[in-house]
Amino acid sequence: MSLAELNARLAAKPAAELRVDGLSVTYNTARGPFHAVEDVGFTVPAGTNLGLVGESGCGKSTVVKALMGLLPEGTGLTGRALLDGDDILGLTDDALRDVRWNRIALITQSAMNSLDPVYSIGDQIVEAIRAHEPVGRATAWARAEEMFALVGLPAARLTEFPHMFSGGMRQRAVIAMALALNAGMLLADEPTTALDPIMQSQIMARIRGIHAHMRRSMVLVTHDIAVVAETCETTVVMYAGKVVESGPTGQVLGRPLHPYTMGLQNAFPRLPVRGAPRQPLISIPGVVPNLASPPPGCRFAGRCPFAADLCRTTPPPVAAAGPQQAACHFTDRAEEFRAAAALPETWRKMRAAA
Amino acid sequence: MRAYILRRLAQSVLVVWAVTTIMFFMFRVMPADPTAILLERGLTDEARQALLERWGLTGSLWDQYIAYLGNLLQGDFGASFFYRKPVWEVLFPLIVNTLWIAVPGLLLGAAIGAAIGTAVGWARRGGKLERSGIFLATVIRGVPNFVIGIALLTVFSSTLGWFPGFGMGDPGETTGFARYLTLDFLHHLTLPLVAVIIYFLPENLLLMRSGVVENRTEDYIELVRAKGVPQRRVAWHAARNSMLPLITWLFPALAETIAGIVVIEIVFSWPGVGRELVLAVTRQDYPLAQAAFFLLAVMIVLANLAADLVYGKLDPRVVYK
Ligand SMILES: Nc1ncnc2c1ncn2[C@@H]1O[C@H](COP(=O)(O)OP(=O)(O)OP(=O)(O)O)[C@@H](O)[C@H]1O
Ligand code: SF4
Ligand SMILES: [Mg+2]
Repeated sequence: MSLAELNARLAAKPAAELRVDGLSVTYNTARGPFHAVEDVGFTVPAGTNLGLVGESGCGKSTVVKALMGLLPEGTGLTGRALLDGDDILGLTDDALRDVRWNRIALITQSAMNSLDPVYSIGDQIVEAIRAHEPVGRATAWARAEEMFALVGLPAARLTEFPHMFSGGMRQRAVIAMALALNAGMLLADEPTTALDPIMQSQIMARIRGIHAHMRRSMVLVTHDIAVVAETCETTVVMYAGKVVESGPTGQVLGRPLHPYTMGLQNAFPRLPVRGAPRQPLISIPGVVPNLASPPPGCRFAGRCPFAADLCRTTPPPVAAAGPQQAACHFTDRAEEFRAAAALPETWRKMRAAA
Repeated sequence: MRAYILRRLAQSVLVVWAVTTIMFFMFRVMPADPTAILLERGLTDEARQALLERWGLTGSLWDQYIAYLGNLLQGDFGASFFYRKPVWEVLFPLIVNTLWIAVPGLLLGAAIGAAIGTAVGWARRGGKLERSGIFLATVIRGVPNFVIGIALLTVFSSTLGWFPGFGMGDPGETTGFARYLTLDFLHHLTLPLVAVIIYFLPENLLLMRSGVVENRTEDYIELVRAKGVPQRRVAWHAARNSMLPLITWLFPALAETIAGIVVIEIVFSWPGVGRELVLAVTRQDYPLAQAAFFLLAVMIVLANLAADLVYGKLDPRVVYK
């Protein structure tokens, strides 16, 4: 198959749709089961981006690994993940052989260490292509050159080894690899965290550009609400292994229903509004509960400025307002909460109490 | 790169010189009188003196040492007391014999050990394959190799009678290299070769296994898995990276292995350098023993140099300075 034929074939792949439902992951640790993710569900319509946000350790990477079938042996896994209708959750490596990279590709969180140190980067991209397409080495290499161009790397450097690349270049190489088979679904797990801020925005701009150009679907994991606001149609907010709020990005970030989302938003600089006074940064005091023995009621109760007795005993139901959903007992008071959450004192009081 | 090799070669020469010197003086200070065996053969005093002179055993220790080094530099190892022949003539065929069991034995031992080690390292943690693999390798590694040799002899030679248990066989009419191509030779070669393989295999297996176990949880392996390549390919990436520590261990380990090969040569009466070395030491045959040690030192030093260069080939991150 020639490069032109390969390109045409790959370009014909449609964007994929992903429906995750009731996903729970329990790590098997020396100290007993650890419920890293519980009952997580979301949908990524074909050709759209979904932003998965939350503090460090809330289970974002665990969700991504579950979808790629990369959880460690012996990890408890329930739920469904329908990729264009096929459940890909909990399949064996052999069964996933055709799904991985062909239909769902990954940009890893630690791209710095994600490349095999003893193979050239070109060889590693070629390996991915040839694992799925019946092409010779020369054609696969030519495709890899095109991918390098796409991420702004000179094709001549394909022959180099990972240690010869800077962090930003490695990250771009990993992106080039993820794009090589034009999979319908892309999982990007904090693709820029390891980089300096300038490189971060460059890479994000690159991902957005490529995405608009190729029209893929993407799950974008990040801490950065501003990136989600710019990039994603849908936003899912996770806290301590659970989804606390989800819905269209404009609604979730513009009129959050869940106190955690409100707090999270305060932790990031607002897009500057001309003439308006700069908003102070407020972080949410306290720490995430230990998931080895999760609290009985709302998991956020220990840090929530609006927590009532009910919150500490009973898990909140999921309340829906149109496509926007939040797991909080008091979503009907969201308006009032938002006003209070915008005030630094509200959170400072929590810190004093803690 | 060239400067690096030159520097390493210079270091190697230094090491070989040191070993040679130590050997030289060690044999001189050993209590027994080397000429005793010559006397036993009923030599007259004049004849003995003449022999001593011819073999450079007269004069001060220092003069002897200088003479010895001078001869060595010209490729002259002197003459064996025992065989009364130039050392080189005695040693050369023995070296070839040793290489016949050592080289294939080490290569096969390393290759088979690494292959099984990869399989064991890639197997499910705590599963049957992992546990039995580690168990067997540890047990075999713990058994002294003369016991392995004797066990092989007992089973396959004495009891089953499948293989001869002694020596290299009778060359008959075939001479020169052709003798190594006879079925008879291969028949004799089998058991000692298997003994070397068994001796060398467990360490390779265990090292490779721990390398693969360590590498399989690395981030880059996760990405290889995510690419949807066949499982064999994923295991290969882990194995390929595990080879690096194996290589650094392998070549220096050759020195130790030589001790093991000496034992195997003795058990199987295989006429190799190692067996001859032991005989030469007990016979007080200095020139022969010194030459054998000299050759071993050269081989070990070259092996280390080779290890460095092979490592550089396998690991793109290595820069020679
Ligand atoms: N293999 C594992 N075994 C046991 N616990 C694990 C394992 N991997 C992750 N965890 C735990 O599961 C929780 C969720 O981890 P995860 O990596 O999914 O978080 P994250 O949201 O991606 O965080 P970050 O933003 O720091 O990447 C953490 O508390 C983590 O310590
Ligand atoms: S349920 Fe209670 S504690 Fe939890 S977020 Fe809502 S108000 Fe806060
Ligand atoms: Mg993560």
